[in-house]
Amino acid sequence: MYAIERIRIIKKYLEERGQAQVHTLSNLLGVSEVTVRRDLERLERDGWLTRTHGGAVINQNETVDPLLEILEEPEDDGSRDEIASVALRMVKDGDVVMLTNGALNVRLAVKLEERSNLTVLTNDLSIALRISLQNSNKVVLLGGDMDKSEKALFGSMSLANLQKFYVNHLFIEVDGINNNLQMTVNSQEKANLILGALELSENSIVVCPSDRFSKNAFYRLGKISIVRGIISNSKLEEDYKTRIFNSDIPLYTTVAAFEGSQ
Amino acid sequence: MKPSRPLLELKNVRKHFVDFHLEEVDIELNKGEVHVLIGENGSGKSTLMKLISGWFPPDGGAILYKGEPVQFRSIHEAQKNGIIYLHQDVQSFNNLSVAENVFFGRVPTFWGISFFVDLQRMLAECQQVFAELKISIDPAAQLGHLGYAERQLVAAARGYVSDAELVIFDEPTSAMSEPDRNILFDILNRLKENGTGIFYISHRMDEIRRIGNRVSVIHKGRIRGTERCDSVDKGSLLKMMSGDVLKNRYPRIGAEAGPVVMKVKNIVLKPILKGVDFHLRRGEILGITGLMGSGRTLLANCLFGIVRPEYGQVEINGEKVSIRHPIEAMSRGISLIPEDRAVNGMFFRHNLIQNITTATLPRFRSKGILNESYMRELTQDYVREMSIKPGNTGDIMETYSGGNQQKVMVSRWLMNHSKIYIMDEPTRGIDAASKVDIYNAMNDMVDKGASIILISSEIEEILGMSDRILVLAGGRIVAVMNSKDATKENILDYATDEG
Repeated sequence: MYAIERIRIIKKYLEERGQAQVHTLSNLLGVSEVTVRRDLERLERDGWLTRTHGGAVINQNETVDPLLEILEEPEDDGSRDEIASVALRMVKDGDVVMLTNGALNVRLAVKLEERSNLTVLTNDLSIALRISLQNSNKVVLLGGDMDKSEKALFGSMSLANLQKFYVNHLFIEVDGINNNLQMTVNSQEKANLILGALELSENSIVVCPSDRFSKNAFYRLGKISIVRGIISNSKLEEDYKTRIFNSDIPLYTTVAAFEGSQ
Repeated sequence: MKPSRPLLELKNVRKHFVDFHLEEVDIELNKGEVHVLIGENGSGKSTLMKLISGWFPPDGGAILYKGEPVQFRSIHEAQKNGIIYLHQDVQSFNNLSVAENVFFGRVPTFWGISFFVDLQRMLAECQQVFAELKISIDPAAQLGHLGYAERQLVAAARGYVSDAELVIFDEPTSAMSEPDRNILFDILNRLKENGTGIFYISHRMDEIRRIGNRVSVIHKGRIRGTERCDSVDKGSLLKMMSGDVLKNRYPRIGAEAGPVVMKVKNIVLKPILKGVDFHLRRGEILGITGLMGSGRTLLANCLFGIVRPEYGQVEINGEKVSIRHPIEAMSRGISLIPEDRAVNGMFFRHNLIQNITTATLPRFRSKGILNESYMRELTQDYVREMSIKPGNTGDIMETYSGGNQQKVMVSRWLMNHSKIYIMDEPTRGIDAASKVDIYNAMNDMVDKGASIILISSEIEEILGMSDRILVLAGGRIVAVMNSKDATKENILDYATDEG
């Protein structure tokens, strides 16, 4: 599980109970106590909690402003940024682009500043805010029910909104691609939104960092053959490169070997 | 009139190689018949002919020759039984005379029991045969000094004098002028009249009707169909040749191309190139395809200064340049990633760092000393980006897989910072994962302002990776298409139409 996912769960746990034990969190998250302590240290630095012997207590009077949280830059080892750069190459000025919710697509949203006259559809609050800061691009936030932890909107209203658009490029952030090349996401609502958007899109591209391969999230989205391409890191295992190629699906990777022309 | 029983019959013949299979092959040949075989590059035409002529035995099925099941253990045994495969690379001796090549294998019988070959008499005999066949080649000339087309005529003459009952011709007319072609077809007709059965591998549609009785299409090691040449239509042959097209899997990100960076005018190098014109834009992948013998690689070699054309002009960024040597090409910002690693520049016994940096040593030189730590650092960057495995700088190249060797070759030329990359068959014979890496490197190159001339015999690759496509046939560019509008069938249509 990624740090960002653990932090989200720890915050949620603390919001509900006010305090937490290290060993309880360790069991809940399926990670070592050392890892939990490191996460707690980070949350303490951010002013979220105060660590106690064997656990932590939430800082009630210093709750982080949720708007600041929305604009918080997600953690990145560089691989998300590379994938977002490849995705950006596909987008031309004036396109209608849809980004589903997720940290990688947030990176892509920031990069879309390099294009103009885009119409960006999204269900992600953080993405919507970022596009709204770009003078030459327009954002449409698909309404719906708010998922508080994801800071994203889902449900029949989002799907109904979507029907009004024809999308040139749909960038789908998935949470896992398993050994059978099945794509998965972490909620039923997200799966429904993606499947709805697929029907309205000309070019549907999955963005998935290499460390989300060989993993399963809870809800099945379908085989990779339902999309027109996949973007991942160049360090993706050879076996996946081979099988995706043999499935007649293009795999775009983040090779950046060329240093430019003289 | 159909003879009662075929000269040769193959029934359900199979042959498995590591990377190629012939499957369920049924084909027959009558006496006095020309049976044409067509198929795209790598479809299995030559493999099938090798199987018939004793290069290797089938894994299953039956070969009936004159009604009897046979299993030849060698090409010599097949020849003794009257089957001769005129293969361009085999049993032609460059340092012997033309006459000796024509009569090769016949010397003991032709000259009685004497092993003292009377060269003068042989030359005279050869001269007589050539006069009969209207071949104007000096029988005393050394074979190695002849051009490709002339060698094909010598091979055909050898087939003519051999008394063989079954002769196999393998694309003899690639790069042949029309008068030479007429001589060859005359030889074929004489063989037919003598009752010789002929398999004729070709890629030229116009030849099918001109000399063939029946035509079979091979696709991926299977016979897709056999038709009578006088009634077959080109469209259905093209359809059989192209098969199912997998073209989605190529990760090309099309982008708007910039200004013209290279203009090529009227490149002539007879008999193969007869006037090639095209232009290349900045940030573009320009695909060039054509069948065997269309001159793809020769064109690449002309552009890179390895071969000097008889005529032709090249402009780089609007400036006329003369490229007489690879060093001049490189100084103009052109790199060639050549077709065959084994022949062209991979140093198998040297290590990774030496192989990657060899084209760019000046980059690492300061005050006369090579900065080895910088070499290592940059090599490691390339190893990471290109996913070269295992990728230790001291690894010896001969221990690497073909795909990793090819990524080393690509890295070597990327390091050279060129503007124009000529990539000749960049993915031939390598694994799928390495192909994916190389295609994505190509995207990276054009994204950063380079231009690529992608030369490939794999039409799917050309369709999938190019922005524009040129088809080379008969020494000329016969079609220019946007890859969005192109199909495999219409590329094959242009590529096979040289008549």
